[in-house]
Amino acid sequence: MIRSLSVLCVVALLAVLLALALGSVTVSPIDLIAVIQGEGNALHRTLLWELRLPRTLAAFATGGLLAVAGALMQVLLRNPLADPYVLGLSGGAAVGALLAMLTGMGTLLISGSAFAGAMLATVLVFGLAHGTGSWTPSRLLLTGVVVAAGWGAVITLMLAITPSYKLPGMLYWLMGDVSYARTPWPPLIVLALSIVLVLPLARNLNVLARGPMQAAALGVSVRPLEWTIYILASLLTATAVTTAGSIGFVGLIVPHMLRLVLGNDQRIILPACALAGGTLLVLADTLARTVIAPEQLPVGVITALLGVPTFLYLLHRSR
Amino acid sequence: MNYWPVKALLCALLTLPAMAWAEVCAEDRRGVQVCLPEPAKRIATLSPGATELMFAAGAGEKVVAVVNHSDYPPAAQKIPLVGNHTRIDLEALLALEPDLVITWVTGNPPAQMEMLQELGLTTFAIEPRTFEQVSGVIERLSVLAGTEKEGYAEAQRFRAGIAAIAEKYRNVEPIPVFYQVWETPLMTISDDHLIGKVLQLCGGLNVFGDMPRLVPRISAEVVLAADPHVILTGSVEGTSDDELDHWKSYSGMTAVARGNLFFIPASPISRPTPRLLEASEAVCQKLDIAREN
Repeated sequence: MIRSLSVLCVVALLAVLLALALGSVTVSPIDLIAVIQGEGNALHRTLLWELRLPRTLAAFATGGLLAVAGALMQVLLRNPLADPYVLGLSGGAAVGALLAMLTGMGTLLISGSAFAGAMLATVLVFGLAHGTGSWTPSRLLLTGVVVAAGWGAVITLMLAITPSYKLPGMLYWLMGDVSYARTPWPPLIVLALSIVLVLPLARNLNVLARGPMQAAALGVSVRPLEWTIYILASLLTATAVTTAGSIGFVGLIVPHMLRLVLGNDQRIILPACALAGGTLLVLADTLARTVIAPEQLPVGVITALLGVPTFLYLLHRSR
Repeated sequence: MNYWPVKALLCALLTLPAMAWAEVCAEDRRGVQVCLPEPAKRIATLSPGATELMFAAGAGEKVVAVVNHSDYPPAAQKIPLVGNHTRIDLEALLALEPDLVITWVTGNPPAQMEMLQELGLTTFAIEPRTFEQVSGVIERLSVLAGTEKEGYAEAQRFRAGIAAIAEKYRNVEPIPVFYQVWETPLMTISDDHLIGKVLQLCGGLNVFGDMPRLVPRISAEVVLAADPHVILTGSVEGTSDDELDHWKSYSGMTAVARGNLFFIPASPISRPTPRLLEASEAVCQKLDIAREN
């Protein structure tokens, strides 16, 4: 366990260093060290401290948040196709953000609206799925999928009525764009706190994966645990989407990739998801801003292009 | 009597205005007074229109960074690119070390514009919406670039040209016109848009002139109901001109019956630059033909 996590740590660190070095202006390792030490020319210092480091850290945090949220959703719903957005969270956040853009608000309010939208979506699905008596994962999933479709309709409506010049900004938000992140600290702190909070619960999550009846029989308090996981996953997803828009693929595939290699012990998978998800998004973001520079691609395109072959390779190897 | 303190004081007083005059200031579209300690030497233009306006102001050699589609004048095509006007490559922009960045209020992404301010770059926002604002912006850009002579001359040439066309078409019979910006979705412009003002200049009556939106999306039915006498659209070089073919099936429309479906070059009319003069001449010529038909 320690070995796999430390390998992931080293890979993550290398990815971050690569991201800091590459870009429209390549910063060689010597210059990189000079800037870290406080010297180095003004352009490299500005590039590194004010553009690349916040962006890279935000990408790492967002990737980690999405991967952990995906893993938690897959455990909660006992469904391998679950991803952080399946319960309509990204739809709610998108409606919040697009509404803010439509009414011409500043970037801070756009992020705030996105977060409020995500939280509203969470409460809505939770409330609707509750019904009479308890909710089951399938009921939650159904409600979530339908509400997500509803948000999708509202998003389409907003895209149809918005003045033409606001469209590119909205589309880029929907495609996911790490450059929106102005400060990486909120997502990093949320990621760190969530790992700390969820690790003690990981053993119970392993038991929960066998089914609620068996888990209850083995002494796990199922209902409170499910509520905790749901709220935590929603918070992680809301933070991720508020930071960088709705980036797809990471939350669905990274947990599966890790399970193929590391097995299904949540005590390993959850921290590994944080590291691997972060690494994937950092590499994807580096590619997105360099592959056809000075044109800037949305990072969601690259996560899928990188993730699909990797996943297929791992799947093939595990046979 | 010893006059040297007086002479020294006079010298100092005389140099003060000169020191103040080295600084250049102009007010931008946001109402911000933008000042540079001396005329800009390295200018970045974040829209194709701004690139053209900078060349018009006589400061073409000072432009060091442009965005996609900055294709006029031809010299602009050799300038390094820093992305698209909707997505700027901030690293590439920073690497070119501009001392003045010309931004587009509604075209550039607000988040990136905030970032530019935070990085300490001097930005000047433009968004000319009338002919007078076009000449005004050329003058203000030339002040910031230190090329007042060429800039003011160009602005005056533009003003005189527009005034001449306005005079020529002052008493002409207005003709209902529909300007098609895009085929699917069907888009047009209102009178607040520069294209709408070009139409008005030539005695055209934009059938959608008083729509609340600048670039409304409409349906074919509304156009049929408005029954314009002439339909205009922009023709892009290198593409086939078939964007008006879909109107030909409505033979009851006045414009179709009289054969008044015309193309004018798209680039000059779509940008807020001195090429609006050529665009106006093209539009006026087509409207004249339409009046004859």
